[in-house]
Formats: sequence, structure tokens, C-alpha cells
Amino acid sequence: MDGWIENARMIVESAAAIVPEDGGLDRVRALRFASPGYSPEVFAEIGTMGWLQLAVPERDGGAGLGMRECASLLVALGRGLLPEPVVSALLAQRLTAGRADTDILDGRTVMVAAWQDRTDSLDFAGPAGGDILKLHVDGAAGAGAFAVLAEQGVAIVRAGEPGVRVETAALQDGTFEGTLTLSAGNPEWLPVADADLALDEAILSHSAYLLGLSERGIEITLDYLRVRKQFDQPIGSFQALQHRASELKIQLELCRAAIFRTAARLDAGLSADRRAAAVSRVKTRAAGLAMLMAREAVQMHGAIGTTEEADIGLVVAKAISQANRYGSARLHRNRHFDASERSAA
Amino acid sequence: MTQHQAAGAFPAQSLPDFEAMSDEDFRQTVRRFVEAKYPDIPRFSQHRLRWDEVKPWYGVLSAEGWICPTWPRAFGGMGLGPGKHLILIEEFERFGCARVHDIGPVMLGPLLMKFGTQAQKDFYLPRILSGEDIWAQGYSEPDAGSDLASLRTRAVRDGDAWVIDGQKTWTTLGMDANRIFILARTDPSVKKQAGISFLLVPMDAPGVTVRPIRNLEGHAEFCEVFFDAVRVPLDSLVGGENEGWAIAKALLGHERVFIGAPRLSGNALARLRYLAEARDVFDDPALQDRYTRLKLDVEDLSDLFEAYVDKLRGGETIGPDVAILKIFQSELYQRISDEMMELAGATAGMREPEDGDPRKHAAGTWLAARPTTIFGGSTEVMRNMMARYVLDLPTR
Repeated sequence: MDGWIENARMIVESAAAIVPEDGGLDRVRALRFASPGYSPEVFAEIGTMGWLQLAVPERDGGAGLGMRECASLLVALGRGLLPEPVVSALLAQRLTAGRADTDILDGRTVMVAAWQDRTDSLDFAGPAGGDILKLHVDGAAGAGAFAVLAEQGVAIVRAGEPGVRVETAALQDGTFEGTLTLSAGNPEWLPVADADLALDEAILSHSAYLLGLSERGIEITLDYLRVRKQFDQPIGSFQALQHRASELKIQLELCRAAIFRTAARLDAGLSADRRAAAVSRVKTRAAGLAMLMAREAVQMHGAIGTTEEADIGLVVAKAISQANRYGSARLHRNRHFDASERSAA
Repeated sequence: MTQHQAAGAFPAQSLPDFEAMSDEDFRQTVRRFVEAKYPDIPRFSQHRLRWDEVKPWYGVLSAEGWICPTWPRAFGGMGLGPGKHLILIEEFERFGCARVHDIGPVMLGPLLMKFGTQAQKDFYLPRILSGEDIWAQGYSEPDAGSDLASLRTRAVRDGDAWVIDGQKTWTTLGMDANRIFILARTDPSVKKQAGISFLLVPMDAPGVTVRPIRNLEGHAEFCEVFFDAVRVPLDSLVGGENEGWAIAKALLGHERVFIGAPRLSGNALARLRYLAEARDVFDDPALQDRYTRLKLDVEDLSDLFEAYVDKLRGGETIGPDVAILKIFQSELYQRISDEMMELAGATAGMREPEDGDPRKHAAGTWLAARPTTIFGGSTEVMRNMMARYVLDLPTR
């Protein structure tokens, strides 16, 4: 082994400081719909642990760890339904590569990525002139800074600066996303070495988060199948449910294998088309898994699965609000097809 | 080993230490071997070849010492670990080598090494290596399929013999075999799994009758085997009396991983695309989306398969969750074949492939995909097992 397993183990162990090992979701429940929908203090703690610089290359002051370590961390965070916008923050740090001010580098100020031009698109080049509009910015309500990605490069702008306007909207999971408009003035555009690679890494990281929350939802559902009795039997003894539960496990393990083997391939280096095909394959599976888990969790729990008081309700809400972020399965199937046709040509 | 060679009809060569080779060197070795030695018999056959067709290839493999890839070298095998064995399988399939009658090399040999007496090993193993014995597996019965433990074939001790009465079915290529191993009930008074024994029976023993079963394509790959007061010596028993169930359930090492290999689905996907392009409909976006869904499934399955192979290479124990591979592979293979049927239009129903091109043979693929969810543990039984042993769900 090349050491990644030991790195990943240490990172996942350290995650217990943020995501309680007993799986308690009280903090997550308390933060729902209370703007900004997450805790800036916990985000700062995440910064203190060095996670924000995890994927930033060592030459830019980061930890320079690979995607397998990153995926391991995001699975652990997904299991805890972490509301802090870590994937977007990692992308923002990766794009700005050590060029932000210290308060941003260490996480005292939350910086998230504002990259997306259109809903369900991976385009980030922005309009040729006029205002720059960025949609679906994760964690926008509590962010003090934004890494705005456009054709010109990346600009670090502060919330409240003249010309920076942010409108927020609640998601089903109780967090808030934002629409960012950058109008007056001309921000300083910094060059970005490989924005496509950084975005692919974020898609893969978000897939790992979806794997983690799906794994958690499946565990909660299996626990329920073991204890819930109807017709004097635990419902998990019924073959109809057993066979559907086995499908959840099959999809879970396919997703896990796809994520970690793709992460290893990215760490070894891939051409842009092969990377796009591989990452889009992973995101397709992860989004499908999260939605399958959500459907089955609700149906197997019965009505309680649609409530806020039940933990599974929080998992379901997280799944439906996160499955399509960084591109829906439909988008990624099309992208996979196009990229693999190009790389085969 | 010399003793084995002496006994064989195809004396084996002395072999290099394959495990000491790099993977790439070994791959090249296999490639050269196949290109130089594969006899003038069909390649890429969609159905199993009969013994008279495949015998020359068995002969080559036997004479070169390649017939039992996973057996230890001390027993006359190649001594391959899972990684090298996978390479061998990949290269054989790349060339389109016919599958030989491999029940002896794959199933009985390893079972005898683990449970057989010294005399049984000394007698039977060399005869598998040489091709003198071709084995069949007699497990399923007309009323004991998924519920195999309810089997009713009886074996009763009578003086110096076991006397066997009953019927086996779905015996793969049984009409080509000269020996069969069976599960028979030796104690009807106990719990059904506890009264079963594992017996070795010559097919030419008086009272054994074989009837081939034709499938819808007209091929006979299976047969029924009838036992009418068949007498075999007491030392035909493998393991202890009434210990047959444990033997039959004994883990067959990495075969349990390889049965879920993505190749059947991968090959079918390539045929689906070939058919779509031949039909000039591959630019239909709706078809592309369906094709892509299947392609993603094949590639994710490949990643999961590789993850299991890595576990084998690392010497990790493979748990009951390995059933995931077989369930998903076989169902995926069928979904791809369903798509081929729709795509083929009215040619889907043709008995022979259109233009004699097997890659366009939708019905052939569809039919070939059917048994994969039935044999080696039906999908339904495997999902039951997963619920119990992987998901820890309650039983009724």
C-alpha cells in the first residue's frame, strides 16, 4: 500500500471531533432553517484541523493529499449529515491555491465557491460582459468570502463589498444556498491552473458525501427492519423487504468501489476526457444511490420517515437536496457518454 | 508429480514458477501459449462444446501442465494465485478459447485435496490431470432445486457397497462424463441438511442411465441422470458419512469471486452497440441514454470486481457479501440482452444469427443470459442469503 490507507484512517478518526461517533444528529436538527444553516464556529474548527487545505498541492501551502484521503473524509462527514459547506470550501481553496488572506486560509472566514452559470450545467465561463451571475452557491448565507470562477480566472470577493450581492434560499435539508451577482468594478482575476480538474475533484468529493449519507440512511433503515413488528413478526423477516434491502446493499457497494477506484485513478493521473467520463460515472451512481435510499427509507419506515423528529427524515431531506448538486444523474450520464466517445475516438 | 505424469494420458512438462513472474510477463507467456497451442477447434463459441470437440484443447492443456491452474504444483497444478489466474482467464477469453469440461479441475480436485483420503487423492487427481476422468456434478433434483437440501436420492449401505436410488437433473454435460459426484440422503431420520453424504460414482456402473435435455436453441448442455440400485464400493464416500452438506457448501476459494466477473455483461454490451450501429440507430438519444445506463453499470461492476480481486491478492477472507457480484452481473447481463431483443426488431426471433454474424444474435444472447440467474444459487436464494448473513435481518 502507498500510505493512503493510513492517512485516510487518521483523517477519519479526527473527523469524530466534528461528527459524533455515536451518530447523534441533535446538532444537525437544531441548525435546520436557522440561518446560515450551519455553524461558522464548527467551520473554523474544521479549518483548524487542516481539512480545508487537504487537496491543495503542497507547493501552494496545502497538504497535497490525494482524492482517496479526501473521499474517505467526505464519506465520514456525509455519515454525519454535516451541514457545513465543506465540498464547496475545498473547491474554493483549491481554485485560489493559497492566495487568499489568512482568515480565509484558516477557516475563520468561510469562503465557498461560486462557479455555476446555469442550473444543472457544469458551465462556469460566465457571460462575455456585464454582471456575473453565479447560481446554487453552497453555504452562501454564512460565507464571508466567495471564490468566483469565470473564464477570466478566479476572483476572491468579500461578502458586503460594493458590487457583491447575495440572495439566499432555503433547501429541503435546512441549509441555504445563494445566488451571487457581481456587478460594479473589476475584481482582481487570478489565474487558475486547471479549473476543470478542480471541479471534477469537487464532483467526486460530493459523491463521497452522498455515499456517506446513503450508508447512514441504509443502516438506520436496516435497524428499523430488525425491530419494527407487524403481524407479530419483525418486518425485516419478510422476503419482499429482504430482497429490496439486499438491492440497497448492492448499490451501496457498487458506489463505494466506483468512488475509491476512480479516486485512485485520478491520483495516478488521467487525460481530461477519461477523467470526466470516470467522475461522471461516479456521480451518476452516487445520485442514484442517494435517491434509491431515500425512497426505500421512507417506504420501509412508513409515515414516520417523512418527519423531522425521526433521524431518517433528516437523512431523506439531505439526500433529496444534495443528490443533484454538482450535476444530476441525467447531466452526468450525458457527460459520460460524450467524454467516453471522445476518448475512444 | 512424476507419478502423476506417469499415470496420465498426456504427460505434463515441467513448469516455470509462474508466481515469480511479473503480471505483464505472465500475460505475455499466456498470450504466446494460446497463440501457439490452441488447436483447430471453434473460438468464441456461444454454447459449450461437447467432449469430442473440445478434447484436443484439454489434451494440450493437460500435456503442458496447464489444465489445473489453481492446483498446487505439488499436485500437478500451475500453482497460480488469484491475480495470475485472472490474467490466464482474461487471455483465454480474449483469444476466444473454448471452455473445457472443468468440473474435475475446478470443483472436485480442490474438494478431494481438502476432504479426500490419501487413496482418493492418489487415484483421482492424476486422472483429472490427464483427462482420463471427466467429471459431472450431481446436485439438483426435480424436486430439489433452490431447496437443494430436500434432495431425495438415497444411498443405503449394503455389505461392502452403497446402493443408490434416485434421480439427478440439470447435470451440465453429464453425457460426456465418465464419473459423477453426487449428494445422496444417507440418513432420512435427521434434519435434512444433516443426513446427506458425498459419493463418487462411475457413469458406466450398472443401473446408471443418462438422458440429455435439449434447450430452446436445440443444444444439449444438460442431462438427467437416473440411478437404479447402483452399487459403488464403501470407499466411494468423500468425507464422513452424513457430512456431505458441509462439503458441498465448502467455499471454493476465489471461484466465488470469478463467477461474478463482468466479462459476460461486457461482451454483451459490445454486441448491443454493434447491433445498434448495424441497425443505424446508435445516434438515437433515447437509445444512447439507455446504452449509457447499462455501460455505467458494467463499469461500476468492473470496479467492484477489481476490489474483490485485490482482496484476494491481499489474502483477505472473502465474506458472504461476494454474492453481490453474481446477483448484479447476472441481472445486468439479462438487462443488456433485453435491450438487444428490442433493438433487433423482428430479427430478434430468428433461429440463426442474421447474416451468420453471432454478434447480431439477440435471441442467442437473451437465451444464454437466462440460466445465469438460476444456476450456482438463484438470485432469489442469494438475496435471501444476503439478508441473513450480510444484512443481519431476522429469519422467520
